[in-house]
Amino acid sequence: MKYCVPAKIMKIRPYLYTMIFLLLAVMLSIAIGSVIIPPVDLGRILFGWLKGVTFSDPLKTFAFILTDIRLPRTALVLLTGAALGGSGAAYQGLFRNPLADPYLIGVASGAGLGAVLAISVKWPYSFWGLLAVPVAAFIGALLTVFLVYVLARVGKTIPTTNLILAGVAFGSFATALTTYLMLLSTGELHRAIAWLSGGASQAGWEPVLAMLPFLVTGLGTLLLSGHALNLLQFGDDQAQQMGLSVTRTRTLILLAASLATAAAVSFSGIIGFIGLIVPHVIRLWFGADYRRLLPLSLIGGAGALLLADVIARSVMRPQELPVGIVTALVGAPFFLWVLRRAKNQGYW
Amino acid sequence: MFRKLFFVLLTGTLLAACNPVQTVSSVAASTESPATAVQAVPSITLTDGLGRTVTLASPAQRVVSLAPSNTEILFAIGAGAQVIARDETSDYPAEVLTLPTIGGYGGFSLEAIVALHPDLVLAQGGGFNSPELVASLENLGLTVYVLPNPPTLEAMYTNLETAGVLTGHGAEATALVESLKVRVVIVDEKILPISFRPTVYYELDATEPTKPYTAGPGTFVDLLIARSGGINIGAELQGQWPQISLEQLVVANPIFIILGDAAYGETPEKVTQRPGWGTLTAIQTGQVFPFDDNLVSRPGPRLVDALEAMVKLLHPGLFE
Amino acid sequence: MLRIENLSVYYGKRLVLHDVSLEINSGEVVALIGPNGAGKSTLVRAVSGVIPAYRGIIQNDDLSRHTDLLSLSPMQRARSLAVVPQVASLPPAFTVWETVLMGRTPHLNFLGQVSARDEAIARLALQKVDALELSGRRVGELSGGEQQRVLLARALAQSTPILLLDEPTSNLDLHYQVSFMETVSALARQEHLAVLVALHDLNLAARYASRVALLVEGKIKATGTPRQVLTPELISLAYHLPVQVIPHPFVDAPLVLPGSR
Repeated sequence: MKYCVPAKIMKIRPYLYTMIFLLLAVMLSIAIGSVIIPPVDLGRILFGWLKGVTFSDPLKTFAFILTDIRLPRTALVLLTGAALGGSGAAYQGLFRNPLADPYLIGVASGAGLGAVLAISVKWPYSFWGLLAVPVAAFIGALLTVFLVYVLARVGKTIPTTNLILAGVAFGSFATALTTYLMLLSTGELHRAIAWLSGGASQAGWEPVLAMLPFLVTGLGTLLLSGHALNLLQFGDDQAQQMGLSVTRTRTLILLAASLATAAAVSFSGIIGFIGLIVPHVIRLWFGADYRRLLPLSLIGGAGALLLADVIARSVMRPQELPVGIVTALVGAPFFLWVLRRAKNQGYW
Repeated sequence: MFRKLFFVLLTGTLLAACNPVQTVSSVAASTESPATAVQAVPSITLTDGLGRTVTLASPAQRVVSLAPSNTEILFAIGAGAQVIARDETSDYPAEVLTLPTIGGYGGFSLEAIVALHPDLVLAQGGGFNSPELVASLENLGLTVYVLPNPPTLEAMYTNLETAGVLTGHGAEATALVESLKVRVVIVDEKILPISFRPTVYYELDATEPTKPYTAGPGTFVDLLIARSGGINIGAELQGQWPQISLEQLVVANPIFIILGDAAYGETPEKVTQRPGWGTLTAIQTGQVFPFDDNLVSRPGPRLVDALEAMVKLLHPGLFE
Repeated sequence: MLRIENLSVYYGKRLVLHDVSLEINSGEVVALIGPNGAGKSTLVRAVSGVIPAYRGIIQNDDLSRHTDLLSLSPMQRARSLAVVPQVASLPPAFTVWETVLMGRTPHLNFLGQVSARDEAIARLALQKVDALELSGRRVGELSGGEQQRVLLARALAQSTPILLLDEPTSNLDLHYQVSFMETVSALARQEHLAVLVALHDLNLAARYASRVALLVEGKIKATGTPRQVLTPELISLAYHLPVQVIPHPFVDAPLVLPGSR
């Protein structure tokens, strides 16, 4: 009879801690924004919803802000953070490299190129016209991964070194092309920069719904790949000798992680540090077993990005800082602090 | 016999219930004159810069401006009292500084805009306010109007008129347009007989003094320089905000150097000290002048102020 | 038993293994010796399916006679043979217990869910290599000898009839070299495993292998008992070094001494 391994591998505590962290982050994200909603009013609104009361101003406006602005935004940021955290962990496992992040093989540069190309076209103002930029970014991201994959292939195998080299080369090329396009662009420079800095998406539920199928597919696959990633840590040879179809598995995980990252990046722009740092923090605190590292990085990434977004929204009211700046400014020192406090040496 | 009576009564009641009352009321309605019907000013329907059809039941009384140009336009046509919030970069006229801000270059706060309950949000097209922002505000149930980015002065006049219609200051807008046109005609007439057109270099950014940014063809600066009787050396370059190398600048050797980046601290003295710039005639003859770029970069009535300021720099004797 | 038939392997354009045939019976330890670059590691890697073979068949006679191991999927192949690699660059963060459990992969579902039986097998494997008390330690903290034992336990946990070892004693000191080979040969006998071990130390081969295969430049030059293969003529020729062979003073095996009289 098979059952999940208790005690050592599947301790409940890490999940409990990270879920609580996420829950707190979600609550903060809903409670804080550029308009200050007093906690008393928040409480009244919550009770009002439970009783089915209709509000009058000022509660009516507050309730509207909560449901139509903050809730969809919270959902979008949560999903984006989950995608970045989960893919980051997967990429680090795939490439066995502590510096790996979801943008290693060019997803970000490809998305940026696609987005800037779309931004330089004057689409008609319509549903599809507005969707043009995220769709172009998405296609750009996946096309880049595909090209890098094809370039890196050697016979039947895809050596990770080749992937990294091809990714860096292609990424630089795409970035250079993007910069060139931006120089040529006429009035849309500001919009391009805003997109590239992250967080420049449309409000409402549409981006969330558009992202969801790709995220579910990508992250769902990743969550099932923990054991495979563990095996890959021993190197291609040993993993294969223990029974893993290395090339096939690597392709699958790469595709899943890239799909999730591409979807996240297409609607939220390029947000750094989450994919790099969150898995490391999880690893330092809860161990390197990928069966646990992946789901925890997913949850942790969601919570971390939510916190960063809250800071981005409230630090310079009513202006909003691009989230990418907050993740860099806050993430890097935080990570250094965690590193110093880590008891395990050679945890990697 | 009772049955017959019952039937008659029933029929009668039914007939009475159905028609006569209606007839009375419809007669009453048709005798009402249109003048006393509850119908105020006809609703406003316009097509904005993104091709959207925007409808207002009555002129907007609570306007949020998302661009400094819009703020200037609104105040210039007398609608200043109806503006309830501005973007961070709006700073003219001085009284707008008391208005609350709702964001700026770094992004706009949808929450703050919604909380103000505006009946109109005025945006600027041409890349200043993104279509995503417009869509977001639309989805939140707000009325948004995008003023297109005007490529010519005439298009700017149209925007003034549009703003007038939207805010119920149509007459003032028209008057403003007329006065602006008069001023422009005066400039045109003075410029016409002038045969000598000096070359002008308009500087936008010189963080890298060997490769500064200037205004290219098709920009308003380019237009203004031409209309002021000058020749923009940036017109030879590609793109709207091209970089010009110091070598090209030396070859072009403009007669005038106009510092559009004066607001960022550039002064004629500093320009004189830039290595390699000393050979330029403009520096040797002292024809380096600061310029308020806001006049030119904000497509509103102050464009005409810019035109007049430019003419005074390029042809000093003309207005004395 | 493991039967290798006419195995040829190319590295790019270079033929590195030429028509190699070898049989290893259950319960015996066959030592694969030869100078550096002869192809010992290549042979182990090719047999385990990690490098593609140009030609040749690998058979596990415990399965049906016509199953070519090279035609199977990695998962299926991993149920027949397990490899003990050299100790270089093991992921240091996993514990010994976690590492050994990885060996159970061919018998688990793709999620890697482990049952009580799997745990029992892993525990037993650790006992056999005398490393059970190391279970909770991180692999990165162990000595070379301990790590090598853990890798052996992992291979044993894989529960395969065939075991391949790729120069397992290269990084071990004298004590661990001997104790490791003692363990391997004892296990081969007790568990009826077919064991092929690539060794660079001729005297370890002489002492612990029942048969020796000499691989030179990709070809099998000789197979037989240690006494038959470890002769001065064969070894001097293969290693380009004059050697002497004398009877070992303590055990019934030849002793190879480099240098001439």
